Amino acid sequence: MAALTGTPQRASGRRGALLALKNLALLAIGLLMLFPIFSTLVLSFKAEADVHVTPPRLFPCDSATSPFDPAACRFVSEGYERVFQPRAATAWPGFRLDGRIITTYLPNSAIYASASATLVTAFAALSAYAYSRYRFRGRRALLMATLLINGVPLFTLLLALLQMGNAIRRIFPGYEERVFMVLVYAGFQLPFAIWIAKGFFDAIPRDLEEAAMIDGCSRLGALMRVVAPLAAPGLLAIFLLCLVEVWNDFTLNYFLMNKQALRGVIFGVYAFIASSGISFNALAAACIAAMLPVIAVFLAARRSFFSAMAEGAVKG
Amino acid sequence: MRHNIISEQPSTQPAHLSHARRRRLRGKRLAPLWLLLPALLVIGFVQIYPALFTFYLGFFALEPGSGRYVFRGLGNFQRLLASERFAQSLGHTLIFLSGYALLTMTIAMGIALLLRQRVRISGLAITMIFVPWVLSDVVAGIVWRLFVVPDYGLFAPFFANPDLFGAPNGISVLTAPPPAALIAGLTFPPAPAMLLLIVASAWKALPFVTLLLLAALQTVPPEVLESAQIDGAGRWQSFRAITLPLIMPTAVVALISLIIGGINGVGMVFSVTSGGPGTATTVLSYLLYSIGFGQLDFGLAAALSVCMSALNIALVTIIVRLSPVEED
Repeated sequence: MAALTGTPQRASGRRGALLALKNLALLAIGLLMLFPIFSTLVLSFKAEADVHVTPPRLFPCDSATSPFDPAACRFVSEGYERVFQPRAATAWPGFRLDGRIITTYLPNSAIYASASATLVTAFAALSAYAYSRYRFRGRRALLMATLLINGVPLFTLLLALLQMGNAIRRIFPGYEERVFMVLVYAGFQLPFAIWIAKGFFDAIPRDLEEAAMIDGCSRLGALMRVVAPLAAPGLLAIFLLCLVEVWNDFTLNYFLMNKQALRGVIFGVYAFIASSGISFNALAAACIAAMLPVIAVFLAARRSFFSAMAEGAVKG
Repeated sequence: MRHNIISEQPSTQPAHLSHARRRRLRGKRLAPLWLLLPALLVIGFVQIYPALFTFYLGFFALEPGSGRYVFRGLGNFQRLLASERFAQSLGHTLIFLSGYALLTMTIAMGIALLLRQRVRISGLAITMIFVPWVLSDVVAGIVWRLFVVPDYGLFAPFFANPDLFGAPNGISVLTAPPPAALIAGLTFPPAPAMLLLIVASAWKALPFVTLLLLAALQTVPPEVLESAQIDGAGRWQSFRAITLPLIMPTAVVALISLIIGGINGVGMVFSVTSGGPGTATTVLSYLLYSIGFGQLDFGLAAALSVCMSALNIALVTIIVRLSPVEED
């Protein structure tokens, strides 16, 4: 993807002016796309009194003399204090965070996301290798079916999954219910992951493996020594994609896990709609807390994301 | 069924092979089965079985007295299709889908065309444009809901403007009454809340569609465009005659994914408008949620999901038929 690297172009005169105009347009679009997130960030740092002003203002920066005075800005951490509920503690680091979002929801989401992303990456790699390297009867049909299954509405499956969860709970009392949640996530992420992974394996030339096998490598040896290193960036992209999807899930978690102790971070945000009343600064702070980890992962690995999406797109 | 998918070319197997060699060959033929098995098991357990179960459940209804499911034949479907709520939600879904798909596709195409020019800033611009894509539906929805909170939301004054949205408009988009229906179930112009839902959903879907289209645009060979320009083709002409046909398959994929996501996705509706005000933004997916988990009428919900799957398939089929894409 050449555009992603943004090759600078030397241009002059009218062409240069046109290029500058395009740059400006792109920058404006980028800022516009970020504006909702930015305004939420500002809201999360407002004091309760500055939230409830009419007509509404973006920045809490009005002073007696001017509508916008940078020196008069009143940014406070009130909203975050309501979300994280810091308490003084004797142990290091001198305080602890008692908010449910810290004690329960964030750890749960971390477990769900990392466990199911690992499972999905492993299983998708195996399947995609089979689809890419073997020709067997029903291969095309199975591939199409894998993709079409995503057309069934989520709520359709929820009813049956709910009963399935109840049945398992009855048969094995006291089992770790998070296992069921992770399996369900894996099942929903696998079809798309297989499709993308197949694209990555297709892009690795077969000759490389065959050369290794002629030189005395077994099929498994060729897979581990030749194919796996080449497929690694693609598999990392699938892992990250799945991590973000599962982190962001609300519906499955909300309906399948009926205990508060088993719920994830997006439920934590949702719970604030009801409990925060008109404390929109706390609701905004909860949103920021839930989106920050995924945005950080995305920024750190954005090239992997883009290549995974482009791969899935062009091949799909 | 599992076994006969896996057979590489059975006729090429020579008859004189030793017993051991034949066994090894069979092991090789079964190799793809073992590779596929883990994923097939998980997908079967989580998606295939529940889908079949729901289809089956669509023909049953809860008996009020005994709490047991009894066979009702097509009773659930009759009850659903006769209800006014279904027709109304179907209308809302169609309005939402057309606005959402049209807005997202046109803006995404514009951005993708700008990004293709390899301008200096595109790395930064792509990153900025893509941030909304990694947000959760619920979080993205709340972000937009906060814009229109009565009185205090940043956009509340805009939506409360009686010149724009009519006189009896409430304080904001979330409390404004829906406009009267022209045809039963088809409210047009859409309620301000519907407009907000469309804009918020398009904002969330825009990055993904832009990247799909950009990836497709990269596959258009620049030499062809250049030679067309040398031959005197204008920009619009070469876009229509060369670029558009080449990116059409991907555009169709993007449109299909928008439509499937738009029909089935409920996270945005949940958090932006919760189906309100009244039922102004109650689309089919939200109706399904409220029947299944509000009224706990699982039989009726199952019938509705079968209808929604049919709508998915119908719309996808129409798009594939209408689009000038050749099958490979």
